[in-house]
Amino acid sequence: MDAPVRVLVADDEEDIRLLVCLAVRKAGCTVVAAVADGAQALRSARAEQPDLVVLDVSMPEATGLEVCSQLRADPATAGCRVLLLSAGASPDDIARGLAAGADAYLPKPFTVAGLVDEVRRLTAGTPA
Amino acid sequence: MTALAEPDATRVHSPAPPAARAHGSAVPGALAVVTAVGLAVLVAGPGTPVLVVAAVAVALSVAELTRRLRAQLDAATELEAQRRDLVTLGQSTAEELEVATRMMRARAQTMTSVIDAVTEQSIIGTDRDGLIRVWNPGAERMLGLPRADVVRLRTITDFHAPEELAPEELAPQDDAARFAALVQVAREHGSDVRDWTYLTADGRRLTVSVAITPRTDDDGEQAGWNFVGTDMTEARAAERLKDQFVSLISHELRTPLSSILGYLELVMDEEDQPLTAEQRQYLATVERNAQRLLRLVGDLLFTAQVDAGRLTLQPEDVDLAGIVRAAEETARVTAATRGVSVTVDVPADGLVVRGDALRLGQACDNLVSNAVKFTPADGQVTLRLRAGWQDADGTVLESDAPGAARVALLSVSDTGVGIPTGEQGQLFTSFFRASTARRNAVPGVGLGLTITKAISTAHGGTLDVASAEGRGTTFTLTLPL
Repeated sequence: MDAPVRVLVADDEEDIRLLVCLAVRKAGCTVVAAVADGAQALRSARAEQPDLVVLDVSMPEATGLEVCSQLRADPATAGCRVLLLSAGASPDDIARGLAAGADAYLPKPFTVAGLVDEVRRLTAGTPA
Repeated sequence: MTALAEPDATRVHSPAPPAARAHGSAVPGALAVVTAVGLAVLVAGPGTPVLVVAAVAVALSVAELTRRLRAQLDAATELEAQRRDLVTLGQSTAEELEVATRMMRARAQTMTSVIDAVTEQSIIGTDRDGLIRVWNPGAERMLGLPRADVVRLRTITDFHAPEELAPEELAPQDDAARFAALVQVAREHGSDVRDWTYLTADGRRLTVSVAITPRTDDDGEQAGWNFVGTDMTEARAAERLKDQFVSLISHELRTPLSSILGYLELVMDEEDQPLTAEQRQYLATVERNAQRLLRLVGDLLFTAQVDAGRLTLQPEDVDLAGIVRAAEETARVTAATRGVSVTVDVPADGLVVRGDALRLGQACDNLVSNAVKFTPADGQVTLRLRAGWQDADGTVLESDAPGAARVALLSVSDTGVGIPTGEQGQLFTSFFRASTARRNAVPGVGLGLTITKAISTAHGGTLDVASAEGRGTTFTLTLPL
């Protein structure tokens, strides 16, 4: 049996963080850490080397965009997938997210079914 | 006699004519007496007694002097007549001059009093090089310097934020280039209105909307430039605050709505412990209202973007027939619940326009949901899509005509409560609600049509309404093909 897909979740809103964790588990993945700010997200990503990082854009310490850029700049984490979640839903917001190196961008409010599908799509084929 | 007229009169009287000069001199008079004595000696002969000679001489000189005096008198009389004529002429010229001068002063006074009465706008006039010549009380108040400290002493660029005028490669002392940058657009287009940063005497920076226009003299030659400024500092700050507020509210409302909708979804889709029909109905109500709140947040954010001129489109080829069918599907459940039938009449092979699919869908959804909301039970809503033509005045034509453009016509007609004629002009104003909507307690905040109009305008289209109170309404969205 394949090892489960490992996912890091970062959102400063506890209710949303829990909801994302539920969706990740519904997608058949394992939550390796669920954190509440950008600095913790970076530390956990470097420590856990997850397959996927689900990041809220608006977070204290470091925004999701900053975390994403730093993950891409660090060879140890450059290969992980990044899904950004944000209340900003304008084309400009989405373009900024993708420019920071995200693989996908999901505006809030998202549906649980939509998030499950997105997690499955991004983690298809992992781990090798 | 005015001071202006006097020099003319003086000039006319002087110098005196040559005749007056000859007759008026004492030397020629004495010569005449000597000449007369000589003549008397000749007449009387050398042997004549001296007394007789003297008497004859006196008689001759008196006659000559009398003749000359008469001639002098005649010349003087003539000169006096000329003088009177000239004085009369001078007086009438002086009066005309005085009238013209008074009119000029009155005009200048009117202009000055109008400019001086303006205290909320700065009116600054410069010569062609930017040297300030006019500085009204509005400019004194806005920039904190009295007229005497500025006129003919300072240039307009002294009061502009240098970074807005000087490209980086420009030397800071190059005032002529900075002034050229300031008036460049007005020079090219005849006028220019935009925000500039003014620097006040006490170091404040003001955001000022400045209208720049060239000023010409009586011969039509350019004499300088006018700068009429309105202080927009507070207004612009309020706009920024509103933008920040809308953005913050949008984020703060979306986040809890994400939780509400997400957890609702989990409960409603729970397969292990299915809900009862009643529970499902209650939660469906919660979800419907959460979605309504979400739409309102989206509409507020969208309206703020339109107001700020930040509406951007993602253009692609869009089949409007698909958009209309999707709008009907979205409204189907609500329409059925209300007993309103919805008919769709679209070309079987579609009708493709260039536009933003998401925004056009939003516009169509707004029109259809309005039609359903405002139509009582047993009413009818008809969605119709066809190609047509539109002339330059915006009139829709059924067939081609010279100068007409091919357009897509999307109409949404209902048999609802209608809109009073007097209110139709305000329909597209934010937060306006027709009296028929308020009377019939139809829910809404009055943003849907504002948004729909903004979307149609952004696509180069139009949105028109035809309505009769109590009989129904037709909205027609026109988009260029």
